[in-house]
Amino acid sequence: MTGWKRPAASLLVTALVAFAVAGCGRGDNDETSGGQAPQGISTGPATGTITVWAMGTEGEKLSVLAKDFEAANPGAKVNVTPVPWDDAHNKISTAIAARTTPDVSMIGTTWMGEFAKSGALDQTPAAFDKAAFFPGAWDTTVVDGASYAVPWYVETRLIYYRKDLAEKAGVQPPTNWQELKDFATALKDKGGAKWGINLQPGGTGSWQTYLPFVWQAGGNVMDSSGQWTLDSQQMTQALDYYKSFFTEKLAPGSLQPGQLESMFVDGQIGSFVSGPWHIGILKDSGGAGFEQKFDVAMMPREQAGTSFVGGSDLAVFKDSKNRDSAWKFVQYLSKPEVQVKWYQTVADLPAVQTGWNDPSLSGDPFLSKFGEQLKDAKSPPAVPTWEQVAAVIDGEVEKATVGDTAPADAVKAMQEQAMSIGTGT
Amino acid sequence: MSATERPAGAAVAPAGQPAREPDARRRTSGGSAGPGSDRRRSRRGRPLSIRAQRAVAAWLLAAPFFVLFLVFFAGPVLASLALGFTDLRSTDLRHPFAVNFVGFDNYTRLFQDETFRTAMVNTAIFVPVTLALTMALALAVAVALHRGIERFRTLFRVGYYLPYVTSIVGVAVVWRIMYQHDSGVINRVLGFVGIDGPNWLESTTWSLPAIILMTAWRGMGFQMVIMLAGLSAIPSGMYEAAEVDGASQWQRFRYVTVPMLRPTLLLGAVLGTIGLVQWFEEPYVMTRGGPLNSTLSVSMFTLNQFGFGNYSYAAAASYVIFAVMVALTVVQFRLLRSNT
Repeated sequence: MTGWKRPAASLLVTALVAFAVAGCGRGDNDETSGGQAPQGISTGPATGTITVWAMGTEGEKLSVLAKDFEAANPGAKVNVTPVPWDDAHNKISTAIAARTTPDVSMIGTTWMGEFAKSGALDQTPAAFDKAAFFPGAWDTTVVDGASYAVPWYVETRLIYYRKDLAEKAGVQPPTNWQELKDFATALKDKGGAKWGINLQPGGTGSWQTYLPFVWQAGGNVMDSSGQWTLDSQQMTQALDYYKSFFTEKLAPGSLQPGQLESMFVDGQIGSFVSGPWHIGILKDSGGAGFEQKFDVAMMPREQAGTSFVGGSDLAVFKDSKNRDSAWKFVQYLSKPEVQVKWYQTVADLPAVQTGWNDPSLSGDPFLSKFGEQLKDAKSPPAVPTWEQVAAVIDGEVEKATVGDTAPADAVKAMQEQAMSIGTGT
Repeated sequence: MSATERPAGAAVAPAGQPAREPDARRRTSGGSAGPGSDRRRSRRGRPLSIRAQRAVAAWLLAAPFFVLFLVFFAGPVLASLALGFTDLRSTDLRHPFAVNFVGFDNYTRLFQDETFRTAMVNTAIFVPVTLALTMALALAVAVALHRGIERFRTLFRVGYYLPYVTSIVGVAVVWRIMYQHDSGVINRVLGFVGIDGPNWLESTTWSLPAIILMTAWRGMGFQMVIMLAGLSAIPSGMYEAAEVDGASQWQRFRYVTVPMLRPTLLLGAVLGTIGLVQWFEEPYVMTRGGPLNSTLSVSMFTLNQFGFGNYSYAAAASYVIFAVMVALTVVQFRLLRSNT
């Protein structure tokens, strides 16, 4: 009985045999079947218990909307579980593997490819009108030609700049690339700022600042056949332009967390690219009257004036035991008036276009520009490997801006690595 | 044959049917069986049956541990090992068995992966340099505390040990602030003596040395405690004899302390290496592996791949660290054995 003396070896053999028997390789269980029509939803009010997972502030405050929903649907009960952002991806993955998913979950837009591809998400029923949402936001839900979620809230990036410094320098907000370069130069040379603009030089998430320039140059990261096109001429052109801000000492090479805001308030940084959350941060850290000193401008236009759209989607899981009611809750959250209430509760911007007709949004000088930009905003392709390719882009952008890699070599390296990573199909 | 090694079959067999065959065989092969052998057999039958009961009882008593071990230790370990030979990704979660068996594909890909090789090189620099620095500092402190410093000895011991028991994340956050380019304490102190300090954590040249320095500072206390124990085990008579022979302080250190401390030093090195090979929190908190992967460790690489959903690739990477650690430990225990 040598088996007892070598339990590890025998167990390993057992495990491998079990694996070989049970495994038998990949079958044809690719569950993202774009051709199949999605199921409909029953009519009538929602019933039963609906469990919902949501992250961050959304998770903490969603119960406010859930109460309204329960009042309108007396037979339904909504259980909201707040999930910390850091934990969310793992928690959802684990739930999918164990088939213990909630009925509805908030899903980060860049996770859609991965989760939809795993076959865990239910296709969006036809009852949802695609045209009601911002097109860039809707695209985040589309995987292999079919939609697997509904955009919940959105954010996009604009150029924040110091109005007073721009006046002092005698420049108008930029409308194209050349003007943006001149604008940053003027803020530095005539406006008195140490840095004309802040662009993220690299590190996690810098692709969100860099890719809009690629889109503005008329390029894209993927062609219509689903092949990476990261070494295209437009990618190089955009990176050349991006890098020039660093070589011409218009943008700082590195900032500590929190430094951006304090330097912008001090007038040391003349402008930067960021999302709507900075309105509140700047009002807080700038003190009284500071909101008179800054403004936001739309992205510069070359071939296009495209910005980045982020945010979160709402998905219903296939393993949901209360599918119809779950979609009804999502439908409720997508109503324009509920989207506005949600904005008033947690300041999330509506993904539904008509939600922006509300004066609380359209009447706000800062927010109205975000609403305008959202009509021309894109998201990265919803493929399962996006996060990994994004990390590659982050790394190569850093090599070009902080290091001395030539942009053409950097994009070539991006393409090579992206090709070896693939698109997860 | 000891009781624990006895095959389970032999212990159970005699209850109903006396195992005549094996005995008969033994008789013919041995050829020395006496006439009373049959009676001896039957007499032996009873104690064996008690033994069988004992064996059952033993297995029953051991079962909770054994089952827990199988389910929570051996199972996951072997599953992750098997995982490394498949192409499982996060998109396969609903059908984890419907994946392909890819042999050593993940491992060959790993060694062609430039990022992984960078992580390996970083680790290959980090471990020996940090270990040498930590042990040199710890030895100096331990000798000073053991021989030289009389007053406040306990205070110093606690002081040097304190960083080791402090949360590594907290320590790393504080050091990150100290390393800041313009406002950090370290560059200010360097400024007093006229040195223009580098931008430690943002420089591809200085980020790894900066992390090595912090890790050595933190790990020093642990090594110091081991060495203090080793030092107090050296008979003071040896120092007295050396002194009588006219050995200088340095000679006493070199020819008495170091040789006598050798097993202790090796133990410290073994424990230190195992900890250092898995370095993770320091770059995770201070640099996130950057700039340009200059502080990326193998553990961080593994975590990143896991985060990207490449579960099988991450499993393969973690078994590479495991293999390296096993190899290092075997080498070091060989060294320990030959010298004690």
